[in-house]
Amino acid sequence: MSELDPRIHQVLDGELPLESLPPELQATVLRLERAAGLLRAAEAPAGVATRVLAALRRPPPGGSRRRRLLRWLTERHAVTIAMRPVWSLALAAVLAAVVLVPTHGTGPLLGAQEGIAQFVGHFPGARSVDVVGPFTDWRSGVIPLRDEDHDGVWSAVVVLPTGAHEYMFVVDGERWIADPLAGRYVSDGFGRQNALLIVRPVGR
Amino acid sequence: MSGFADALPPDAEVIARILAGDTDAFGILVRRHEAGLLRFATRMLGSADAAADAVAEGLIRAYRHLASLDDPARFRTWVYRIVANRCKSHLGRRSAQGVSLEEAGPVPDPYDGEAELERTEQLALVERALTTLSAEKREAFLLKHVEGLSYEEMAAVTGERIPTLKMRVHRAREALLEVLKEHR
Repeated sequence: MSELDPRIHQVLDGELPLESLPPELQATVLRLERAAGLLRAAEAPAGVATRVLAALRRPPPGGSRRRRLLRWLTERHAVTIAMRPVWSLALAAVLAAVVLVPTHGTGPLLGAQEGIAQFVGHFPGARSVDVVGPFTDWRSGVIPLRDEDHDGVWSAVVVLPTGAHEYMFVVDGERWIADPLAGRYVSDGFGRQNALLIVRPVGR
Repeated sequence: MSGFADALPPDAEVIARILAGDTDAFGILVRRHEAGLLRFATRMLGSADAAADAVAEGLIRAYRHLASLDDPARFRTWVYRIVANRCKSHLGRRSAQGVSLEEAGPVPDPYDGEAELERTEQLALVERALTTLSAEKREAFLLKHVEGLSYEEMAAVTGERIPTLKMRVHRAREALLEVLKEHR
């Protein structure tokens, strides 16, 4: 590796004006500045504000093992059921029927405060799609959507607590996209919008 | 403080609001600094996913330790230091797993139009050249030339002495030029 003329470093460090260099050394300075400029101008990856805000709204982790166990037992957890969209619709119909048809002594499959949420998005060419929200601690990899037909339609069916849930799709692990079909959106507090899903009790 | 100027209110004022209980004001700091932090972490790690993790972890850590920041006006260098340390931890784990930066794959470029082809190729070349630098030299070059920090600010971020940082920047420039010349 050849050492550069020290005057080049002085110019790049703001200690000498560019004009003080002969043209060939000026070209070297400009080449380095152009390289840095390309790195500066390249668009930054998708922001992390939603993730950060969500994490800060959660109580800090910790507490005793007993308290963590108690919290795990009492808090709701998202349950993933991966299946083809057509089967998910059939399942929703069956579950609705189970809840609606009176039974004698047996309760419905879902709790009174739970409902089924189906997430569907069209992301042709995507390698992976996840849905994230407070129900996944805004982490991807918890509820992956699937596109088993490779037609660009990704879907997942999950059981969630009834009520409003903010969510986003994470495509290829890096692009955070508010569901364009959600119809409802809320501010994430950082100038962007999260999609909003209302989960209602099955059959009610 | 070149490159540190930003829209009002200044970081110190925002931090005072947060510490007084307006926790949502942390969003102002996140919005102000996340692009630079993500750019820096992505170039350090060669992976947008890993960079997002490092920056998110760093910002959360910064929020939780905000009260320990002696000089709120230096928030930016402080949060860069936290994220730089997250990057080093990540690189250490990756090295232990035998994964190189090249294997981590290129950083996706949002420009794909034909008119941008030459610029994209040049960017890819510079990115490849960056991966040939040691982590210390890469960090020094990025902080100096991409993030626009002064050597004093770089010393606050890295904990290194200014002559050491100058030497790293100089060596990084020479190594980068060497690689770029090969592809002229």
